[in-house]
Formats: sequence, C-alpha cells, structure tokens
Amino acid sequence: MAGYMMLDGNEAAVQAMKMAKVKVISAYPITPQSSIAEKLSDLVSDGILKAKYLRVESEHSAMSAAIGAQLTGVRAATATSSVGLALMHEVLNVASGCRVPIVMPVVNRALVSPWSLWCDHQDSMAERDSGWLQLYCENVQEVFDFVTMGYRIAEHEDVLTPIMVCLDGFFLSHSMQKVLIPEQSEVDEFIGDYIIKNTYLDPTDPMIINNLTSPDEFTEMRYQQKVGFENAAKVMDEVFLEFEEKFGRAYRAVEGYRLGDAEAVIVSMGSMSGTVKHVVNMLRSEGKKVGALKIVSFRPFRNDLVNEMLKGIKRIAVIDRTAGLGSQGTPLWHEVCNSIDKASSDVIVKNYVGGLGGRDISIETIKKVFADIMDDHSQNRSPVWIDVKENAMDIRQVYINV
Amino acid sequence: MLRMQMQQEKHMKKQKKYRVLGPMASVFESMKTGSWRLERPKVEFSQCSKCGTCERYCPANVITIHKEKEECVQFIWDYCKGCGICANVCPKDCISMVDERGEE
Amino acid sequence: MINIKFYGLGGQGVVTAAKTLSVAVSIYEGKYAVTIPAYGHERRGAPVYTDIRIDSEPVLANCFVYEPDIVLVMDESIREKNIDVSKGKHHDTVLVLNTADGSVARSYKDAYGFKDVFYVDATHCALNNIGLNIPNGAMLGALAKTGVVTINSIEDALKETFGEKAGVKNANAAREAYEKTEKI
Repeated sequence: MAGYMMLDGNEAAVQAMKMAKVKVISAYPITPQSSIAEKLSDLVSDGILKAKYLRVESEHSAMSAAIGAQLTGVRAATATSSVGLALMHEVLNVASGCRVPIVMPVVNRALVSPWSLWCDHQDSMAERDSGWLQLYCENVQEVFDFVTMGYRIAEHEDVLTPIMVCLDGFFLSHSMQKVLIPEQSEVDEFIGDYIIKNTYLDPTDPMIINNLTSPDEFTEMRYQQKVGFENAAKVMDEVFLEFEEKFGRAYRAVEGYRLGDAEAVIVSMGSMSGTVKHVVNMLRSEGKKVGALKIVSFRPFRNDLVNEMLKGIKRIAVIDRTAGLGSQGTPLWHEVCNSIDKASSDVIVKNYVGGLGGRDISIETIKKVFADIMDDHSQNRSPVWIDVKENAMDIRQVYINV
Repeated sequence: MLRMQMQQEKHMKKQKKYRVLGPMASVFESMKTGSWRLERPKVEFSQCSKCGTCERYCPANVITIHKEKEECVQFIWDYCKGCGICANVCPKDCISMVDERGEE
Repeated sequence: MINIKFYGLGGQGVVTAAKTLSVAVSIYEGKYAVTIPAYGHERRGAPVYTDIRIDSEPVLANCFVYEPDIVLVMDESIREKNIDVSKGKHHDTVLVLNTADGSVARSYKDAYGFKDVFYVDATHCALNNIGLNIPNGAMLGALAKTGVVTINSIEDALKETFGEKAGVKNANAAREAYEKTEKI
C-alpha cells in the first residue's frame, strides 16, 4: 500500500532515486542540493541502498563519473545546483551527445554574481540548449513523480536523452510537504530494471567512445538528438497517461488551470505556479476571468499544446525567474510568443521578470501581474521587472577619492 | 613620514559619494562572531591538566593555554562561537557549556 | 487556510518545529501543510523565521506568509533584535510566546495589539524534560492551546520526528508546556 510521508523536495528526489535502485552515485554537495548528496550517502553507508558512492572533487567530475558508470549498464545518480550545474556545462553535453539517459534533479539557484544561495531559474535556463530534457516541479509530490517518470522517459529507446528534474531551491528543496509514496513493487513494475539500449562499456574489455567526429557525421548525430526530442514529446505524454492509470495522479506536459472563459492568463514554471493557481482562485471568487498555464516540460517545449490551450485568450502574461539579459525577453516568453498563432493581432503577450536570487514571488506579486496585464494599453513590449525596487540604481554608494 | 601623511590627508579631503554597481563592498564591518554564541565554555581550572587538547581542536583558534597562570585556559570571547568542541574533546571533562545569558 | 509564522533564534529548532507541526497536522490529522523555511546565512543565535500554511485542502500557495493568523515566538529577546513580530498582523492574530514572565506577555500584547497571547516558560519545560535549552517541542505544546492542532497529534509527531527516546522526552516537554500555558 502506498503511504503518506512528510518529505522536503530533496528527500523526495532521494526517495525516487532510491526506489529506482541507482547503482552508482557521484554527487558533489552544493547548497541547496546538499541534503540530496548527504541522504544518498547515508542510504549507502546504512546498507539500505546497494550502490557505490563515489567521492568526486567537483561537479565536472560528478557528471563525468555518472556518464562512465551509466555506460556500464546501471542507473547512475547525481544532482546539483547553480554554479555546480554551470561547472557541469561541458559534460552535460557529453551526456546528451553520447545518449546517456541520466536522470538528474537540479535544485534551482541563482548564478553568481552577486553570490546568492537562493532560488531562480538562471542555472537551468543557461543549460536549456545542452540537449537535456527539462521538467519543472510545482510541489514536492511532483518532485517524486517526475524523477520516477524521468527514468521511463529518458531511457525509452526512442528518446535516450538525459533529463533534468528542476525543483526550486528552498521553496521546494527545503519545503516539507505531504507526499504519497508508492510501494517499491509498484515502482519496480513501472520503471523496471535498467536495460542497455545503446552503446555500452565493458570494464573487462575497454574501448574508446566519444571519439573525434568529422563534419561528415557531426550534423547527423545532432539530428539524431533532435529526433530524440521529438520522440520525447510523444513518449512523455504516454508515460504521463500510464502513470495516471497506475498511480492516480494526472500530469501533462503543459497544464491548464481554469482556462475556460479566461480573459487573462499567467504562464509560469516551477513552485510559483502553485501561487499563481492560488491567486487565480482568489480572483475567480471575485468574478475576474483569469486562469493559469503551467509549463511542466520546458524541453521539449510543447508549442502545440501551448497554442491549443491559449487559443482565444487575449492577454497572456509570461513570468520568468530569469533575467534574459540583452534579449527582447526571457526564454519562456520567447517560447510562448512563438507558439501562439500570429493570426490575431489583438493578443498581448507580455513578459515579466521576477523572483530573482530568492526574492519571493508572493501572492501580491502575482496579483500585480494580473492587474498589469488586464489593464495594459501601452505599446511597449519590453520585459516588466515586476518586483524590482525603485532605487535599483542607487542601492549602494561609497565615498571615493576624486 | 610627514609627506605620506600629507598625501593621505589630501585625498581624504576630496572624497565624494559615488554609486557602485554590483556586489561591491560599500561598508566593511568585521564580524565579531562571538555575538553568535548561545552557550559559552566554562573551565574548572583546578581540574585542568593544561594538555592543550582544546587549543588544538578549537576551529576558531581562540584558545590559548597559559601554563603559568591560575586561569590557565584563555578564550578570545570576541570570536568564540560557543560550538562546544573544546568541551567535547577535553580529556579531563573540565570544560562545561553554560548558558550565555544565564550567568550574569 | 491558517497562516503561521515562527520566530526564534538559530539553534532553537525553529525549522524542526515547523516540520514537526506539519507532520502533526498532515499525518495525524489528515490535513495538508506546507512549510516555507527562510534560510539565511546560518549561524547559532541569529534571528530566524519560518512559515507554515495549513488547510483541509491541498495548499497551492508556495510563498512566504505576510499576514499570519498565528505568530509563535520562541525567544522573548527577539524584539530586541530589530524583529517586529507583529508585522502583517490582523485583528484576529494571536501570539504564542516563550516567557516565564506574565508581565512580558502582557507587554507583548499591549505593545503589538495581538488578540490573544498564549505564554509558557517553554525553556523551563525543555530543561525539565530534555535537559537542553531547545524549546521547540515545548512551544508546539503551547501552540496546541490555540486549537490549531491537538496536543495528541503534537506528541505523536514529536515521537516520529525525534525517534523513540528523545521523542518521548520532547513529547513530555510539549505536554507539560500545554498544561502550563496561560492565555491573556
């Protein structure tokens, strides 16, 4: 029988990796991911998880070791955050290019500089073109469920692409919530043992992989990855449905919330999506026609679903927890803009930047976004920094000699 | 010497307030980590064998052993965080952790 | 939905208390709780706070609490550290305070205008039962007096959080605090 447990986001990720019976763990601790590395280490040292825990000296090594381990035919586990993910950048592309279907929780935290320990999405957004699938979690139950489903999606023979399960630092990683955890036997039935479906390494018979590839074949290999992403969309939908049938919780790559007759909609990702839904309920009870669209799968981005679900909605606010510096808008805004039919010119898609470096996206912030999008008459389409302070340019002053 | 002083004063007189961008320090305050303390180590000096174990284990390096003095274990209270490692490692069990506010 | 804010000093177990409360209401009372901890530059003795939302329905909002219904203060000295524990208070907000001194509780009530103040010497209850100055378990006992959670659920949750031996001691501290809590 499945049972409720009180877990924070990191513990839920660990629980899912444990139940997937990972055999090698190579994680380097970093706030706010640390408790994932620590709990996995505890499970190994207590003999609860039969796995090899590798102590590595950096995230670059952690990902390298995970790739090597998984290529020998086992599930490898790692997890990281922020600058740790940035340090993995090179090797992330090795994992995706070599088609090693690693499932990695990424605990979202701002990138330096300024130093911050707290949540925003710039770390995983910086890796959006690294060839990894990306799912974003709204709550702790989703962390468990998405990591569990991640194995099925990533390891599918038509996909063979690694996946990041992104959970907001502190808002999810350290938020304790009630989570329904299935029985081990149910998880076993759902994801099964790891089966090698691509090239593999035999430690007793070493060989070289990832060799220098000439322009003659490089494009084709990238194309294979592109096909993998296209297949991932379909596989993901199937896995979501199968999960719903088995465990009773319904997920979609893009989730609509009270979209029927909605006039204004906020598009969001991650833990703020819950707050957006909360505010939608508040405003609906006041008679305002508002709704929410939650992007679960950012990679692959499901323009088909987004277009279909936003059809007929005239005012669309896209909130991103990343700055999109130097661009016309943030990554999610670009994706949404390019998803909706251009036919109707009276649709406003406005971009909002908020929640950077741990700033809370509060109920008030979401209300402010709804108020702004519902009363928008300006032609200015540059991103609105919804929660920036008025004195932004003058927060620090010093005395300097002339 | 006088010349250096004059140079310095010259600059000090011409200070102006400027805006800085990014996480540049505008104020530097050295942190007295002793203010973090909830409990402080208290030594039973008569039991102390002056072995120096606490001095070696102290992560903040704030303990000095004075073999000749009666109060033979000295703490730098400005920087002792009250972690209690000294009390834990003391082979004579003569360091106890007492409530920071309780004694006064 | 009930919004709760816990204030305390680093080392007093503020975050653990919030987690234990969410176990109590979620597991033992079939409700839903979400903790939203505010982690800072961790160090003992620094003012810390953490937020909890409790509801009979799954909690959607995942942001800090700005208008608490219940404020729990684990250390009476917190107001001397530039912390305004009445921030965001509305006219029904109640305070649960750790103090041995009824006049301190009275001064909190008068200065900040809380509707009710529940107070107990949780530090004493903790020292009595656990032997350590960690008042979090005892404060949960006092919190039970507000009616947001039952003392039985708190005892069960403490036993689950702290394990058999320490759990019983903490549960005893909570029970003692619950019985000694005064309301003004």
